[in-house]
Amino acid sequence: MLASIAIFGVLVIVFVLSHVIPGDPVVAILGGQAREDVIEAVRRRWGLDRPLYEQFFRFVVRLARGDLGMSLATNRPVAMDLRAFFPATIELATAAIVIGAGAGLAVGIVSAVAHGKWVDHVVRFLSLIGLSMPVFWLGLVLLLLLYARLGWLPGPGQLDIFVSRPPGVTGLLTVDALLARDFAAFRNAFSHLILPAVVLGSHALVGIARITRASMLEVLGQDYVKVARAKGLAERTVILRHALKNALLPIITVIGIYYGGLLEGAVLTETVFAWPGLGRYATSAMLSQDFAGIMGVTLLIALVFSFANLIVDLAYGFLNPKIRYE
Amino acid sequence: MRALLHALAVLLLLAVAILPAAAGAAPSRVPKNVLVFGTNTADIVSLDPAQAFEFTGVWVNYHTYDTLVDYSRDFSRVVPRLASSWTASPDLRTYTFTLRPATFHSGAPVNAQAVVFSVQRVFALKMAPSFLVTDFIKAPTDVVAVSPTQLRVTFSQPMPEMLMAAVFGNPVTGVVDPALVRRNATPDDPQANKWLTANEAGSGPYILMNWTRNFKIEMRGFDNYWKGRPSMGRIFIQDMPEAATQLLALQQGDIDVAMGLLPGQFRQIAGTAGFQVKQTPTFTIRYLTMNVGFQPFSRPQVRNAVKYALDYEAYKRLYEETIDPGQTIVPAGMFAHLKDRPYTRNLDRARALMREGGYEQGFKAELMVPIDPTLPSVAAKMKEDLAQIRIDVEVKVLRNADILGVYRAQRHQMAIQRWGADYPDPANLATAFADFDSRVLAWRNQWDHAVKAKVKQAAAERDPAKRAALYAEIQKTVLDEGPYAIFAYPLRLNAMRTNVKGVDPSPLYETYDLSNATKE
Repeated sequence: MLASIAIFGVLVIVFVLSHVIPGDPVVAILGGQAREDVIEAVRRRWGLDRPLYEQFFRFVVRLARGDLGMSLATNRPVAMDLRAFFPATIELATAAIVIGAGAGLAVGIVSAVAHGKWVDHVVRFLSLIGLSMPVFWLGLVLLLLLYARLGWLPGPGQLDIFVSRPPGVTGLLTVDALLARDFAAFRNAFSHLILPAVVLGSHALVGIARITRASMLEVLGQDYVKVARAKGLAERTVILRHALKNALLPIITVIGIYYGGLLEGAVLTETVFAWPGLGRYATSAMLSQDFAGIMGVTLLIALVFSFANLIVDLAYGFLNPKIRYE
Repeated sequence: MRALLHALAVLLLLAVAILPAAAGAAPSRVPKNVLVFGTNTADIVSLDPAQAFEFTGVWVNYHTYDTLVDYSRDFSRVVPRLASSWTASPDLRTYTFTLRPATFHSGAPVNAQAVVFSVQRVFALKMAPSFLVTDFIKAPTDVVAVSPTQLRVTFSQPMPEMLMAAVFGNPVTGVVDPALVRRNATPDDPQANKWLTANEAGSGPYILMNWTRNFKIEMRGFDNYWKGRPSMGRIFIQDMPEAATQLLALQQGDIDVAMGLLPGQFRQIAGTAGFQVKQTPTFTIRYLTMNVGFQPFSRPQVRNAVKYALDYEAYKRLYEETIDPGQTIVPAGMFAHLKDRPYTRNLDRARALMREGGYEQGFKAELMVPIDPTLPSVAAKMKEDLAQIRIDVEVKVLRNADILGVYRAQRHQMAIQRWGADYPDPANLATAFADFDSRVLAWRNQWDHAVKAKVKQAAAERDPAKRAALYAEIQKTVLDEGPYAIFAYPLRLNAMRTNVKGVDPSPLYETYDLSNATKE
């Protein structure tokens, strides 16, 4: 219920903001050379000549019917655009969070266990570099190194252009390729996924490593950990079974936030790697003031965040039996 | 610890040093009968010929749809395409076209009725490029199929051949297959505009095989094209929004042609074995505009002072030599272009003109400039230049859409803008820049000058020599009195591998013809 109110609130705010900022979406789409009469005709056709409240009312009525409207920038239903672009983002974001969370946890744990030693210093130093490094720059450097110089990984795009897309079942290329038992397409799609996922996951990695380290340091100083060690338990058991489980709550929260953020689309990574995801679509919708596109993306992102928060909340209950939801 | 970090740094340096250099051309991964372009395709709204008005979309349509006529590569004359011949009435208002035998990609024959149908769609849809038809043809009923192979068109004004081609050589009148369109029409969308957004129903040299937004466009040569199958079997246009990525993909042999490199990257690749950079002037103009409705610019002396204060050579350097410094409204390479370039930086003259105009003490003005890799630097230099004649410029870098809103409402003071010819005839430029009544640029800048009568006269003039003389006169007037300081004719550059032949960028983007492309 609260989530529904929040989502509606977000929609109202974004609708109003996107309509009150200066600029004309029709002019943005048609450009500087379109004639005045054509601009007026298009404005009428899309209902943009109507008062703001009427436009919002129409939007809500359409939304209630499950219709997100037509995109001015792509001349097709926004729902179709989201279906086309969001899976690419889900695929990239999921791969990125797997890399970021997996490596971030490992690095954070190692750093906490080796607290104050050289490994810890190196990890903290690299974390600082990782946080400061612009994604755009990192993407280009990795492309230069791993694609252009070493040839280990393919270049930009979600798939080689000569490789046919597998039939779209889920929209996730790697999954669809596996479902179609097209292993060549799977290998190709997977290899294309690695580099952008590493780049996109690098920031999550650093953030997760830092929170893991801090959380583990706090837990490792607790009495029950000392007791576990005094009992003669193996160090691995102490860290992974006793310490980590109790340190996970803030880490899970951060992972949830990162994943939600990644699912919004990453315009810079998508631009460098020519990735046909939601980030570029959202940016292009914003630049051209494509109201229907902006509202569709907003709704999707609001839903994604609500869903990510729900998963995090459920994970709390699983990790800490003291937390119960009524 | 320190020793370890040092060792790590040395190892990293060594690793980078022993890697093979990336500057040379890696072997191409693209087969010989396939041509791959890398460019940003996000501009495409629709591939419906009655709607497409963006660079990439119109360029694709040029290859998937046939028009009645085309321009010769040097834009000096009109050449046949679907129409094998045509005749014009003595008053140049009525043209009769004879169609050659041709088939749509669906296998259906192309006939005069299909041409009528296609023009009627443009009227019915009234999309962005529709003015290219409706400015010259009053009603859809003025296009009549006399027989299956003959078509009569009555224009609303005398149409010299080059102007006729503005209508029937433009992809907006690309001939669509009526049966296919009707099959995909719906009660909500009787013109099948939504279907044609991502599909095609043409008869051009290439068939659109696939368009995945923000990924790729794939076209295959049409076996039954009336001119014979094009030399290149397949053409891909791969979406690559980032210039650096395009450069790497070109070097690695994943694409044959990079269309969107930055000026410095073009220079870098031009000096590398295995690559070539082809360039052409474009029918495009970059200009600084001054709103005559803003008090200081109502004085012609002040406008000319600005023109004399600008450092045109510096802008060329900022563009890294990728512009031609033309100053007249008809760009180089187009019929009737006037080569005059009277304005070079002359601060004494500029200050004297400011004095004559009554603004010796200067004034404040706002300059709007679009977000762009180079233009903000150009605007900063202009600010510096104009400060020399006491014009205190405030530069505002904005989305072009925002600038256009202000520009169209006549509320700007100064702005940097561009104009690309809609068709390669001076009538287009003269109408935009000098005809106040047409409500385009002269109107936006509130410059209502008697020269507009000459614009109308020139468009209707049948004698080429007289036409050229009239356009020369118009250009001279705009140059001397107009509210525009034209500082660039941008060049179009494409970087490609040296084995690519017959791919020559065109001054008019959409007529970038690939039908003669081959690879060695």
